[in-house]
Amino acid sequence: MKNILTIFKKEFYRVMSDRRLIFTAIILPGLAIYLMYSILGNAATGMETDIDSHKMIIYTENMPTEFRNVVNLQFDDNPEFHDISESTFDEVSLMIKDGDVDIFLSFEENFMDRLDEYEQAGYSLPNIQTYYNNSERYSSASLNKVNQFINAFMFMEGLERYGEAYTILSMNADTDGFPTSIEYENKGIGQGFAMLLPMLIVMFLFSGAMSIGPDSIAGEKERGTIATLLITPVKRSQIAIGKVFSLSLISLMSATSSFIGVMFSIGNLVNMGDAAGDINPLDIYTITDFLMLFAVILGTVMVVVGLISVISAYAKSIKEAGMLIMPFYFISIFVGISTMFSGEASQSLVSYLIPIYSSVNMIIAILTFEVVGTHFLIMVLSSLGYLVLLIFVLNKLFQSEKIMFSK
Amino acid sequence: MSLEVKNISKTFQLSRKQRKLNSTDEKKKTAVNDISFTAFPGEIFGLLGPNGAGKTTALRIISTLIKPDSGDVIVGGSSVKDDSYDVRSKIGFLTSELKLEDHFTPNYLFKYFGRLHGLEDDKIMERKEVLFDRFGINPFAEVKVGDLSTGMKQKTSIAISLVHNPDFIIFDEPTNGLDVLTARSVTDYLLELKEQQKTVILSTHILSVVEKLCDRVGIIINGKLKVSDSMDNVMKESNNDLEELFFKLIEEEELGGFRQ
Repeated sequence: MKNILTIFKKEFYRVMSDRRLIFTAIILPGLAIYLMYSILGNAATGMETDIDSHKMIIYTENMPTEFRNVVNLQFDDNPEFHDISESTFDEVSLMIKDGDVDIFLSFEENFMDRLDEYEQAGYSLPNIQTYYNNSERYSSASLNKVNQFINAFMFMEGLERYGEAYTILSMNADTDGFPTSIEYENKGIGQGFAMLLPMLIVMFLFSGAMSIGPDSIAGEKERGTIATLLITPVKRSQIAIGKVFSLSLISLMSATSSFIGVMFSIGNLVNMGDAAGDINPLDIYTITDFLMLFAVILGTVMVVVGLISVISAYAKSIKEAGMLIMPFYFISIFVGISTMFSGEASQSLVSYLIPIYSSVNMIIAILTFEVVGTHFLIMVLSSLGYLVLLIFVLNKLFQSEKIMFSK
Repeated sequence: MSLEVKNISKTFQLSRKQRKLNSTDEKKKTAVNDISFTAFPGEIFGLLGPNGAGKTTALRIISTLIKPDSGDVIVGGSSVKDDSYDVRSKIGFLTSELKLEDHFTPNYLFKYFGRLHGLEDDKIMERKEVLFDRFGINPFAEVKVGDLSTGMKQKTSIAISLVHNPDFIIFDEPTNGLDVLTARSVTDYLLELKEQQKTVILSTHILSVVEKLCDRVGIIINGKLKVSDSMDNVMKESNNDLEELFFKLIEEEELGGFRQ
């Protein structure tokens, strides 16, 4: 135990006493993620604000006054309307193409009369044709806005024609269009988190361990310092445990840094320019949820570090270790992506026995408030089992003169 | 307590690349071939041989870094095969293959290895005072190993290999790459260890070092121990010309002959 602690402390001190390593392994991951996602989120918000502040220029043909009244009364956009008579269709088309005009709305002639008559035999609903430019962002956005105008116009016409009954038929009778149950709302947000976080967490854990693991073991082999350690009367298993635990703590710190980065920028990331405001995970999840998440991350860190340590002990150099770790890194990202769109944790017991896959599913279960106790227990215990197995293999590798002294 | 090497042999598999480099079709190379000798306390045993003769392999077996295919080494009553942890606590091993991490200072590493040898902190401090004084490491004790000169690195390595005050000291080419002054301080220290009744094994390819320091000598060529005797007897037999004997043995081995 004393030897494990001595090795643990030395490995930990190795990173903690090196400013460059502290920066690259611990501070940089969180900082980079925060900056990246914040810039991404702000750019999206900025784009939205820019579009919102743009004054739409709409050319119309045969536009009924009723339509214009609905737009003016119900929307703050206050678009600039021009009648086609001010120009020609070809000229307007060209202006839309150049981005000088956003959209052209062509109502059928005598639109309101046609609307009144359409229920009679031989008549059909009148058409509204829209012309816009998909490659111009103001024009693209104006199509969405015009659709909102049309929907509002249709709604008002329906209300006038059929009275209050129309609102019940056309809208969700229970609410005003938004869920009112807090739990339901949280689950929706939770599913948003569950889409992104499992993959990000697994990626952070891997990249954190990858930044220090190969140097600690393959690097010591490459530099010839591992032999100095192997000549001491310390059991190989104690060296293995000391190194794995120390690397785990550093990887955990690296992953925590990344996690903090995500937490600070998650509002921007999930909203992506939505004006709904920031989402604070602390308002949604309880301490128990966070503790469970921590246990899952800890279990995953141990397995990932164990795996990277075994690969590093097998490799002849840091470079070779890096190459050999890559396929496992890609597999773990693939596992993260594969569960991205399901939004639900697996219900199969076996899933919680497969390393990484079990972590990803358990993270989803925690984030979507659907943790099954047995699954949680199996995931944590199986991670411990894998850790013991990997330390056993690492111990064997340390004992193998062929592996330790191969050139 | 003596160090007894009993009929050790070690064979390595040759990779295709190594076979090509050595211009041979043989898939195995016998690095150490049935070697036996004994080193006694208060004596320096010199293992002499050209590069690639098997000296380092023999020392790696004695220090438990690798296991012999056959035979055994008994270090103060402990077998390298069965009690490797005991052996490691009794020996101090120095070879160019064992390096110190550049990032740490001599102070830190001395304490670290002292603890791994199971020493209490006050004992470590006591040993540090003795060894750092002896090798003049104190002014550099807080300088990172990576920033030390080659000589100071080697002195630090020696001090660290002796942190636990071992009874058996195995030094593989300890003066390699050192300037005359530093080399002299290392060889002087070996004589001090001998006076302290330590059992010292020294491998070298430098004949003058053997002549000056050793009480016994083993000449190893092509994995075989061609001579193992007291320095006096060897000098007598070679008419005080160790160099001549050395070349004669190499010639015999190249011709495939054996010394009677």
